[in-house]
Amino acid sequence: MTLWLTLAVNSIALGGLLFLLSAGFSLIFGLMRIPNLMHGSFFMLGAYFGVTLLDNRIGMNFWAAALVSALAMAVIGGLVERFLLRRLNGQELPQVLLTLGLSFIIADVCLMIWTGDPWQPPTPDHLRGVLQVAGVYFPYFRLVIVLVAVVIAVALWLMVDWTRLGAMIRAGVDDAPIARVVGIKVSQLFTLVFALGAALAAFGGVIGAPYLSVYPGLDAEMLPLALIVVILGGTGSLLGALVGSFLIGFLYNFGQAMFPDLAYVILFLPMLLVLVLRPQGLFGRVMT
Amino acid sequence: MATKALTLHNVDAYYGDSHVLQKVSFELGEARMLGLLGRNGAGKSTCMNVSVGLLSPRGGSIELFGEPVTTLPPEMISARGVALVPQGRRIFKSLTVRENLIVAAQKPRDNKHAPWTTETVFSMFPRLSERKHQMAAHLSGGEQQMLAIGRALMGNPRVLLMDEPSEGLAPQIVAEVMATIRKLKESGLSIVLVEQSPKLVFDIADDIVILNSGRIAVTESAAKLRDGSTDLAQHLGVF
Repeated sequence: MTLWLTLAVNSIALGGLLFLLSAGFSLIFGLMRIPNLMHGSFFMLGAYFGVTLLDNRIGMNFWAAALVSALAMAVIGGLVERFLLRRLNGQELPQVLLTLGLSFIIADVCLMIWTGDPWQPPTPDHLRGVLQVAGVYFPYFRLVIVLVAVVIAVALWLMVDWTRLGAMIRAGVDDAPIARVVGIKVSQLFTLVFALGAALAAFGGVIGAPYLSVYPGLDAEMLPLALIVVILGGTGSLLGALVGSFLIGFLYNFGQAMFPDLAYVILFLPMLLVLVLRPQGLFGRVMT
Repeated sequence: MATKALTLHNVDAYYGDSHVLQKVSFELGEARMLGLLGRNGAGKSTCMNVSVGLLSPRGGSIELFGEPVTTLPPEMISARGVALVPQGRRIFKSLTVRENLIVAAQKPRDNKHAPWTTETVFSMFPRLSERKHQMAAHLSGGEQQMLAIGRALMGNPRVLLMDEPSEGLAPQIVAEVMATIRKLKESGLSIVLVEQSPKLVFDIADDIVILNSGRIAVTESAAKLRDGSTDLAQHLGVF
């Protein structure tokens, strides 16, 4: 019984992290149609920035480190979009090659700077401890990850669906030339979305670090998870990304615990089924 | 001399290798309406596209109230007060009616007229008001056309370009749209009205320009053309 609950709590916490990773991926892929294969790298590089800031030599506050890292990654993401991806507008294969190539470069640079050893910052003091409910222990930190993810999900949903800025982004996706003709600065908005996606991934990387730790190959591990989440949930749909993240969180943890040999089958099978039966994903709009 | 709102001067434009506008020049006077006529493929929409910056001309110049805008991108031309009601309406289908309007909102550039807001657009098109929270994709063709006009007005333009606003609409709706256009003209807006059918344009426009195969064929005041003494059939086909 306790095992199940522990697995469930871990699943929800992983789901929260996956949401931070895939929300940006979904916006970038769904709204801007850019298959950003360096999204896992944003997560890993952000996490490395975070652990460096958290390290004793700097000793920054946990949340400050997550924010600073997110900000740094927003700048990097913005530059990549503005100066590289912008030139490949609408060309999917070159975009795939560019982002994949950059992810290899980032992986090597990270290996050079942070070595091949894993970094695992301690759980911040104020988030240690457990919540005891009906004889079952829930680690605070994992609950906080979920809480943060839900708060960010609500904030993103409000921004995209209920603000003028969000409507302008959607207008730019609907019909970019006409959006420009009515005065919307589509190009700036897309840079903003890309930077936001990168920042969210980095933020997730930092707050996930005490739990997942940071190591070479983390990028390549996270990217497929983001892909599955977005395919399951539907590209461009924040609700889809949220539901998909928790679904994958559960499948990942329970699959590894119960059928370790089949863990990847359990992970990828739902994606396959969705692709065959409902290609737009659970909550995706049909692309026109 | 009357102020020129929009001037195209010897504009050359290409789609790939095809030379779609050849030395096209015309002038839209302030607070006047210019009817731009021509057959399918004569270059009418291309004139609109170069005027809003969607297509860069290879030669010639475009001026807005005497200032050059030839090489500006669409969003900057929009910021200077040019709005387009595009051919085929092209409303933002995944946005609600209200969102279609607010994304295009811009501050007025002068105090001459009461500014356009969602309220004033809705009072002009009550049917849009009833549907303001619906997705624009669910509107009828006529309602979409009203939304496209409303969206253009939200930019508080000084020059309004309308590319075949009657296209694909039932006659009764066409009459409604034309009545709206007449009102806009009376409010002092400078308008280019592109149409295939001269009937719609002759009695509402002040000046007429007829394009034929990418060249200017006729430039004349509407009053002179209305009497029917000029033979237009060769430029416009049967009508």
